[in-house]
Amino acid sequence: MYGWHLRILRVNLTTKKVTQEDVDPKIARDYLGGRGWAIHYLYKEMNPMADALSPENILIFATGPLTATPAPTGNRYMVVTKSPLTGALAHSNSGGEFPTWMKRTGFDMFIFEGKSSEPVYLFVNEDQVEVRSAAHVWGKDVHETTDILKGETSTEARVACIGQAGENLALMAAIMNDKHRAAARSGVGAVMGSKNLKAVVAMGNKNPALYKPDEMRALSVDTSKNVGADVKKGSNMRIYGTSYVPQVTNTLGILPTRNFLQGTFEGVNNIDGDALKNQYLIRHTPCYRCPLSCGRLTEVPDGKYKGKGEGPEYETISSLGTGCGVSNLAALVKANYLCNEFGMDTITTGMTIAAAMEMYEKGYISEEIIGMPLKFGDHDAMIEMIKKMAYREGFGNDLAQGSYRLAEKYGHPEIAVTTRKQEFPGYDPRGSQGMGLLYATSNKGASHMEGDVAYEEVFGVPVKENPLMTEGKPELVKHFEDSFALMDSSGLCVFVAIRYAFSKDRMILPQRLAEMMNLSTGAGYTPEEALKAAERVYNLERMFLLKAGSVEDTLPHRMLHEPLPDGPAKGKVVELDKMLPEFYKLRGWDEKGVPTKEKLIELGLPN
Amino acid sequence: MMIYVKLIANYREALPPQAINGVVEMDVPDGTTVYDAISKFDIPLDDTSVIVLNGLTVDMNTRLVEGDMVTAFSAIAGG
Repeated sequence: MYGWHLRILRVNLTTKKVTQEDVDPKIARDYLGGRGWAIHYLYKEMNPMADALSPENILIFATGPLTATPAPTGNRYMVVTKSPLTGALAHSNSGGEFPTWMKRTGFDMFIFEGKSSEPVYLFVNEDQVEVRSAAHVWGKDVHETTDILKGETSTEARVACIGQAGENLALMAAIMNDKHRAAARSGVGAVMGSKNLKAVVAMGNKNPALYKPDEMRALSVDTSKNVGADVKKGSNMRIYGTSYVPQVTNTLGILPTRNFLQGTFEGVNNIDGDALKNQYLIRHTPCYRCPLSCGRLTEVPDGKYKGKGEGPEYETISSLGTGCGVSNLAALVKANYLCNEFGMDTITTGMTIAAAMEMYEKGYISEEIIGMPLKFGDHDAMIEMIKKMAYREGFGNDLAQGSYRLAEKYGHPEIAVTTRKQEFPGYDPRGSQGMGLLYATSNKGASHMEGDVAYEEVFGVPVKENPLMTEGKPELVKHFEDSFALMDSSGLCVFVAIRYAFSKDRMILPQRLAEMMNLSTGAGYTPEEALKAAERVYNLERMFLLKAGSVEDTLPHRMLHEPLPDGPAKGKVVELDKMLPEFYKLRGWDEKGVPTKEKLIELGLPN
Repeated sequence: MMIYVKLIANYREALPPQAINGVVEMDVPDGTTVYDAISKFDIPLDDTSVIVLNGLTVDMNTRLVEGDMVTAFSAIAGG
């Protein structure tokens, strides 16, 4: 077989038994790889009602058919499990080097079951698979853990691990790889911590065989050179990474500010891409085989925020920065470093602190409970809260449950800006209506990466859509969701893949993406078949969500009932009821958002 | 009348030196359109650029009024 190894490594952490399994080629083709394979196995093997932090949960690392191939940005993997934050499905994506190294072990997926009685890490060097003690790295941060495990295994190995936040089961814990890259969202790091699995260390030389290697290399070179302006010298992503985005969202009035009380931030010039580039940028740090190179190594050279690491990215600036009303760039950069070292999702971390700040200012939570004042803009208090969250100390234990549970505990659920208990990313949907529909219907709770229609509503890719209009958005959201399921399953990063999944007429046919997958696997997908497989994946994820007991597609109070007070979208709320019925109809779902029997049969899913 | 043009990120290279935080103030005649204002700068005026008026999606032939701000940035995947 080509592209895929068609092999899975299954690790039972309770018994320490390790088994190798083959993958049925029909399942491989029907579910694409990566995210698609993972939901197939999760749905088949796990009780969706199980407690996410119990041994019953299953944790899956999944690469795709383009991971570890010449395809530009073929360096991604997905972490798929049941989320302890949302109680729904989690699927979090990351790049860097680890995913490529993982696939070079000769396995496409690792499946972790059960729970170890003591801290362990998994070492995989092709057929050498060992569950080893992690007692010596338990309690250490991501950077220390990575250095120690590479030191005792091989400099050729790559490490994915949790920090203290994951060990302590903080619900915004991430799984970090290559120190700075994160499968961040939905608390996947807490699931890893609940299994006493500190790290996964991977190495090997088993690149997947390619169906047509010469043609694939030629298409890859052409893609790197010619697909979109994004990869060209002088493009924003090459210069700034995503840190240029705050100026864009601020202009449109959708930059989350002070827990979404506002849509514009007066201090944006202090924390934007130019400020970061001029003050702290050292150099660019691309993921493996990436022509875009959006990652950036930065350093605060001195002072109380001294530190060195990667980022921050836009989503960190819009959560720990504007979300908390913070305009001190050095403190913001330091907060980002701390999240990476403790292993925390910066979106949920930042927006949970933002919710706490609003509740403090409104008198709903006292200084006595928090242990200090917690006003918007207090960057030192924000940094203290991050440390307390990672260790679940004092008020940090409340924060470590995320903003939904925090707001509910203190009697003001209307403060939490979440769907399915997951915090919103950096696009206020009151000024970006399609994003509102996306957040409401996302199977994993609020997430831009579920189908980022901001590409059209905000960034003009592939074409500019009016973000304040609702017309046409149901179709747009469906197309983006399916296309993101395809990209996530393929093993590509969306930043470049988006350019070859979409055409300018908005009728999305992933011609080039299907061609790339065919040259890798020999599976012979037509673009329509590839997109249909992605729709299959999306609907199976929906079925998992329904069986997990989370059904309502809605938005928090602020988005539906509190108009934006400022900026170009002033006066707007999300007009969800204008979009949701049409969306369900286009999806082939009933009026409650449940896939109809006809749709399940059409997609070849259990019905 | 006085209007403002704001260019974001890499487009700032097209701004004159007096621009502050990417914004330049301009004195333009009545009847000036969004297109007229933005075409004074060396940036692409095709679908590789996003151009908005006061943060809103508008027709490029929209006539400006005193105090308007035209903003342009490169259309690019990100965020």
